[in-house]
Amino acid sequence: MLEVHLDSWLRGFGPRSHEKVEADSVEHLLDALDARYPRLRFKLRDESGTLRKYVRVFVDGTDVSGTTGVATSLVGARTIDILHSIAGG
Amino acid sequence: MPKDGKVRILVGTRKGAYVVEGDKRRTKWKVGPVSHEGSEVYHVAADPRHPGDVYAAVNSWFFGPTLWRSRNWGKGWKETGTPMTPLQKDRKPESGEPDPGNPVKRVLNNMWRIEPGLASEPNTLYLGADPHVVFRSSDLGKTWDPIDAINNHPAKKDWSPGAGGACLHTILVDPRDARRLYVGLSAVGTFRSDDGGESWKPTNKGVETPFLPNKFPETGQCVHHVAMDAADPDTFYRQDHGGMYVSHNRMDKWVRIGKPLGDDFGFGVASPASAPGRAYFVRLGGMARTTGEGHFQVHEWNDKSRTWKKLLSPTAFPGNFGVQREGITTDTLDPAGIYVGTTTGQLFVSPNAGKSWKLVPFGFPGIHSVNVANPPSD
Repeated sequence: MLEVHLDSWLRGFGPRSHEKVEADSVEHLLDALDARYPRLRFKLRDESGTLRKYVRVFVDGTDVSGTTGVATSLVGARTIDILHSIAGG
Repeated sequence: MPKDGKVRILVGTRKGAYVVEGDKRRTKWKVGPVSHEGSEVYHVAADPRHPGDVYAAVNSWFFGPTLWRSRNWGKGWKETGTPMTPLQKDRKPESGEPDPGNPVKRVLNNMWRIEPGLASEPNTLYLGADPHVVFRSSDLGKTWDPIDAINNHPAKKDWSPGAGGACLHTILVDPRDARRLYVGLSAVGTFRSDDGGESWKPTNKGVETPFLPNKFPETGQCVHHVAMDAADPDTFYRQDHGGMYVSHNRMDKWVRIGKPLGDDFGFGVASPASAPGRAYFVRLGGMARTTGEGHFQVHEWNDKSRTWKKLLSPTAFPGNFGVQREGITTDTLDPAGIYVGTTTGQLFVSPNAGKSWKLVPFGFPGIHSVNVANPPSD
């Protein structure tokens, strides 16, 4: 079971700060969160299934957003952090 | 519209939305708290059929586009249906797609325009968005149906975006016939449907494209905004990249009117209900895209006399101001109120059809859109 941490902005769409999710990939993790919290749908991914530009997903502390993205395997992973990158102006 | 006698300016900015309240004198204003703080709000629209209903097209850098509704003039916003398509892996092809076995990859980018339907269709809303798409809702925005004949138009592969993206930014409904629709897309041009959106005809004849080798193509015009004349729904005023135009025949043909102004570039145009035959343009320099000659200015077109009038003296508001396509609007009072929001956060108001102007004493973030809800004239 994965321990998923979500930042305060994302909690505005329903999730708690810590969620327990069973998933074998980032894609399936996000599918599970979307099913649990429908307002989260399309906030982390666009309709193509790609992570939005300023969303960062860390798997056991490693940022996978710009590399393997939603295809990242979570087999053996324990902790997922979903955060916003620094942006603005 | 408002039963409480208040005039409300709905302001969409780079960093949130505001509701600014005044009365029919339109000389004193109270700016309400920011909502959707930090997000780009491209358009805030009141629904005249349901007083108090306000919609906001919020385009977040982080979360993408979301549509919000307040039932109480900008208080108590709730997220309503946003017309996202399903995730690509779950998506079925729509009618008109070139390869039914391989649905077109579609991502909804920024939402640009919310347009309530006619009073005869009290639950209809239209929404224009990037990438060159328009949706119709029959349940006040809970769910949306794509208008496939535009969204999957066979020529779409050849359509180019404008600097603001592939925006479908103008939606107009003929007040005599809800099946006659007009849309404006950058940099594609205008289209008319006479059958409720089932088919569309390009309506850009006479509009020059100075940025293309072919100066008068069927499409490819970078229309910036179009306003319908309130008294004559066959007449339209158009601010195009290629100048200012009028059409008197449902956009079948356009005639350039801006040449006497020299540079007739700009983004916004509005035509008030109490002044038929008048249109208000904010003329900008084509290079800097700010008001030229060092001061804020609005030009009035009189379609009867075919003359222009510059409304502000050079000393009234010195500066170089940018104004976007939704940055000018008018109310339905008599005399007409004219409202102009700038990209540097000034909100100018004229309560008397341009005779005098005041600045709302508040520094907004850069303004994308202004829209007004007002009570009936006395």
